[in-house]
Amino acid sequence: MLRWLKRRLDLMRLTDPRWRPLFDEDASGEVVTVDCETTGFDTKLDDIISISAIRIRGNQILTSQAFNAFVRPEAEMRADAIRVHQLRAIDVENARSMREVLPEFLDFLGGRPLIGYWIDYDAAMIDRYVKSYYGFSLPNRRIEVSGLYYDRKYGDAPQGTQVDLSFAAITKDLGLRTLALHDAFNDALSAGEMYVQLTDMQARGVKIARERTHDATASITAG
Amino acid sequence: MPRSFDTKSPPFDRLNEEQAGELVASLDIGYWPKGQAILTRGASSDHYHVVLKGTVEEHDDDGHVVAVLGPKETFGARAVVHGGAGARYVAAEETLTYLVPRETLLDLIHRNPGFAAFFYSDISRKLAEVAKGDKGQGLEGVLRTRIAEARLRPPVFIEASASIEETERRMTDTDTNSLLVRDGDKVGIVTRTNLSKAAILAKLPLTTPVGECSSWGLIGVDENEFVFDALITMTRHNKRRLVVTRAGEKVGILEDIDILGLFAGNSQLIPGRIDRAKGVEDLVDAAADIQGQVVRLHHQGVKVRDIAAITSDLNRHLFRRLFALIAPASIAEAGCLIVMGSEGRGEQTVRTDQDNGLLLAHPVPEEDLVRFRAEFQGALASFGFPPCPGNVMVSNPMWSQTIDDFVGQLKRWVHQPDAESPMHLGIFFDAVAVAGDGDLLARAKREFIGMMAGETAAIAHFAKAIDQFPGPGGVISSILATVGHEEPIDLKKSGTFPIVHGIRSLAIEKGLIETSTVERIQKIAEGHFFDEAFARELSEAFGYFMELRLKSQIRAHLAGTTEGESLLKPSDLTTLDRDLLRDALRVVKRFREIVRSHFKLGMF
Repeated sequence: MLRWLKRRLDLMRLTDPRWRPLFDEDASGEVVTVDCETTGFDTKLDDIISISAIRIRGNQILTSQAFNAFVRPEAEMRADAIRVHQLRAIDVENARSMREVLPEFLDFLGGRPLIGYWIDYDAAMIDRYVKSYYGFSLPNRRIEVSGLYYDRKYGDAPQGTQVDLSFAAITKDLGLRTLALHDAFNDALSAGEMYVQLTDMQARGVKIARERTHDATASITAG
Repeated sequence: MPRSFDTKSPPFDRLNEEQAGELVASLDIGYWPKGQAILTRGASSDHYHVVLKGTVEEHDDDGHVVAVLGPKETFGARAVVHGGAGARYVAAEETLTYLVPRETLLDLIHRNPGFAAFFYSDISRKLAEVAKGDKGQGLEGVLRTRIAEARLRPPVFIEASASIEETERRMTDTDTNSLLVRDGDKVGIVTRTNLSKAAILAKLPLTTPVGECSSWGLIGVDENEFVFDALITMTRHNKRRLVVTRAGEKVGILEDIDILGLFAGNSQLIPGRIDRAKGVEDLVDAAADIQGQVVRLHHQGVKVRDIAAITSDLNRHLFRRLFALIAPASIAEAGCLIVMGSEGRGEQTVRTDQDNGLLLAHPVPEEDLVRFRAEFQGALASFGFPPCPGNVMVSNPMWSQTIDDFVGQLKRWVHQPDAESPMHLGIFFDAVAVAGDGDLLARAKREFIGMMAGETAAIAHFAKAIDQFPGPGGVISSILATVGHEEPIDLKKSGTFPIVHGIRSLAIEKGLIETSTVERIQKIAEGHFFDEAFARELSEAFGYFMELRLKSQIRAHLAGTTEGESLLKPSDLTTLDRDLLRDALRVVKRFREIVRSHFKLGMF
């Protein structure tokens, strides 16, 4: 509700017509899966260093036309984040600035809903730049894959069921492969794969089975 | 641009780095819910699929699962390249597939012959062998030769209004087997075969304008293209001759035999050696050469059918010379030496056995016959021909007797058959005369066809041997799907034998004189017993089994054993080869059913 109101206000105040398409949800049914790698995990302080987006049309993930960009960060890169995405400062030294990258990225999004795992985090990161450059918040509808997963698995779960929405848990339940490297493209792709599968299960009314009880031996045998 | 795509698994391992990069950049990913048909039989497709995650089942027309494809396995090439999927593909569970766009696939096929080879089955094995360590100027070198550098036949034109007779004279004068035919702006081609068919078979008068027996669907290639392109063009259009152009001008004719000439090395030298032989010992080396060239031709990538043709020509040459050297005057005068079985059909490459015999116009002195039998057998043994396990050899009096006695023998096989009779009759029916009076064999065959005419029960009894080895039939899928605990496939029992024997049965029924299986298939199709399309599939399947068999024979040969030479483990094959093998086994299955129902074998 609050986001809807914000969107209406942003639209009224919008001065540059270039961004108008973002405010009309794309009628084609396409969505776009988005992921960013950042210098750290603070949406207020850290910077985006790479950003990937892949459109999904019907049952096809259009990896061939993916959007990929490296961005030169202003904040310093932190060791813990570097360990995750394996991008060192030197790797992004010659990348372009966010001022150059962002317009292309927004054009790529258009009015398509955004898909992601923990999409609010990525959207918040991007939002900070959008707000400071153009004065509005990303108006695109957001679809959280862990939310879709929750509905399929825990939607009718009794109170007190232990809920696991981790990336690994979703990957495992959907039988997806684990991509070796967590970069923006692979993470966006994984979220996209989750999305097509989960929306299909939704359409067919298929649920994901829950483990009956916690099996203490599982961790031993799995090890 | 999914970096996780494995460009190291076949057929993508044939792409160079740049091409692999383009391929990966072009990939999309498709999602298929459980139960969804990804491709339906006969449908074209915009994508070639590589399974990323999940399982895809291949269904035949009856809805049976014939294969199960897992990650990295591919399907849909045929739908993209040939415009119609070969089967129905259904997602067996939630499945993701990489989608290779049609344009990208065709572009890569066009640019990379090694990659293309996987999609044009005819040429695939050639390159596969080359890649496996052919040294230097092998096939690769030949394929990369520009057409302009090949020995081209200069084009000789003739007007369409010229008579057949003039045309034949022009061919003789210019020492060529084909002429270009001009009719106004139209240009066609006429070959000696066209002429003989017109004059002998269709009985057209020799004054008929040659335009009437020419073919007008000329296919051209530019002289700057590679020999490889010419091969693909020939395969694709099923043509044996192409017109070579330079800047649009017709400058020559390229025949498949010319390309074969580039490959074949020195096979053409062997006949000379055979002819010059003064005694049996001189033939030993020539016999070894014949066997040696099989392996060499195979490594150079020559099609197995051509290898078999070259080999049986050379073998017959050898037999003829041997006959001339050792036959005493009485046998030389009265005898007809015949080769039978696979040798007679011209389908033997690596020697696995020998089937031969002698027909005599009248009795000859017993001592001559005894000596000839022994010497002939001794000579073949010294040439390295393994003895025939069924004892179908000149040394066996049953296979070297007078024509009258032999015809009596045939009658007994037909009317009082024992367990061996159908096999004996089959082997005999494939006979060709290699030396002496060929009319003797022709007479024996006429008598045999006469005995079988209308004898539905006798032919059915003969045809029944097709079920001697039950094929993999309905379990093709399980054999080929489960990698790990698999059963080897016997190429002879599951592949070549049912085709050879089924076709042979039909050929007897129809009284055909052709001996090669492919020619018989052609004739049977011409009689509309089955359609052209099935005939082609059957011939191709047959060729494919021969190809695989030759490969495993050569492997066994190199290992110095004949044990298990016709056994094949599906896991030794690439995914695409497995695909082809499945297709081929399916064709055999259909063919068995056709034969079974035609001869009502269910009643036995």
